[in-house]
Amino acid sequence: MTSPTGTQVAILAAYAELIEELGSDDVSNRVIARRAGIAERTVFRNYPTRVDLLLATAAWIEATIFAREESHSIFDIPLAIRDAMHRYDERPELAHVVAETAMRGVSGAAPSPGRAQLERLLDAEVPSLDPAHRRAVIAALSHLDSVGTWVTYRREFGMDRRDIADAAAWAAEAVLDSIRDRVSP
Amino acid sequence: MEEQVDTPTAILASAAVLLRERTFDDISYRALADEVGISERTIYRQYPTRAHLLAALSNWIEQTRFPLPPFVTVSDFRAAVHERFRAFDASPAYAYVGARASAISPTLDIEPAYITRAIEAMLDVAAPTLNRRDRRRVAASLRYFSSAMFWARLRTGFDLDAADICDAFDRAVDTVLARLPEATWAPR
Repeated sequence: MTSPTGTQVAILAAYAELIEELGSDDVSNRVIARRAGIAERTVFRNYPTRVDLLLATAAWIEATIFAREESHSIFDIPLAIRDAMHRYDERPELAHVVAETAMRGVSGAAPSPGRAQLERLLDAEVPSLDPAHRRAVIAALSHLDSVGTWVTYRREFGMDRRDIADAAAWAAEAVLDSIRDRVSP
Repeated sequence: MEEQVDTPTAILASAAVLLRERTFDDISYRALADEVGISERTIYRQYPTRAHLLAALSNWIEQTRFPLPPFVTVSDFRAAVHERFRAFDASPAYAYVGARASAISPTLDIEPAYITRAIEAMLDVAAPTLNRRDRRRVAASLRYFSSAMFWARLRTGFDLDAADICDAFDRAVDTVLARLPEATWAPR
């Protein structure tokens, strides 16, 4: 993703604000333009369709509001997951938007933006895994380190933020159990 | 439409037909109204927002296209999930609707999905002495790894097919269940 321009950031931030106030369905480009202090056609010029705007907004939210501290070890990922769940819980409307755009298939957002980083950490610390095992660890951790976890645990189990953070980090520790003693010296 | 169906169902059936040729975002209420042969207003009355339509469409697809095979034991659970992932692979457009609908802000007071209750019941029988917190941790992990979201993430983000997704699912289930003390398990 290329970084958004100043005008684009104004549009994305305005839209994110309005989503929190009104929900993502009821926000017109006119309202977004007014909130961002720009002309309506500027919104169109930058984001020709509604889907373009939504995907860009979700990516921006993920990179700014839900940005996480970089982990320096694959074994730190459960801690990062715990923090992320607290952050999602503080901004539920935005969390749902990010979760939903990642589930649209090829026309949606990349569903595992942290994958490359997980691979880097795992390959540096535990280089001896066979390909299927490596893939399963990365897939499971990417899945857990996502807003989908917060949405599902809340919706299906009625968990509050502490319980979600606990259960998500616990599952990530379970995934790491299989590689805990295989770190290269 | 040959059979007599009620209007909400007719709308969902037509939306499912349109999904074969375009994405959910490209199905306008106008096109949907034309397809069903009713007014756009009638659709708005049934589904005031696209989120309502998405949620209802996902439920309908779930019931008609992806019925969950019943399961009691952990191995039946694995088999049921494998069958679902293969069914998702065969109808990806429908499966993505399910994954999306499970991510949106709920439009109504929703009940947990049937699979959630089935997993909890399975654990009650399989691990009767397990403490409450660990039981919820296990149930939540199994539920999340068996979801349409897991299938969608691995298909889009990792380019995997159903066989590879089933393998990743099995390994995730193994790691979660391995955390439980042996004595927790009911005699088998």
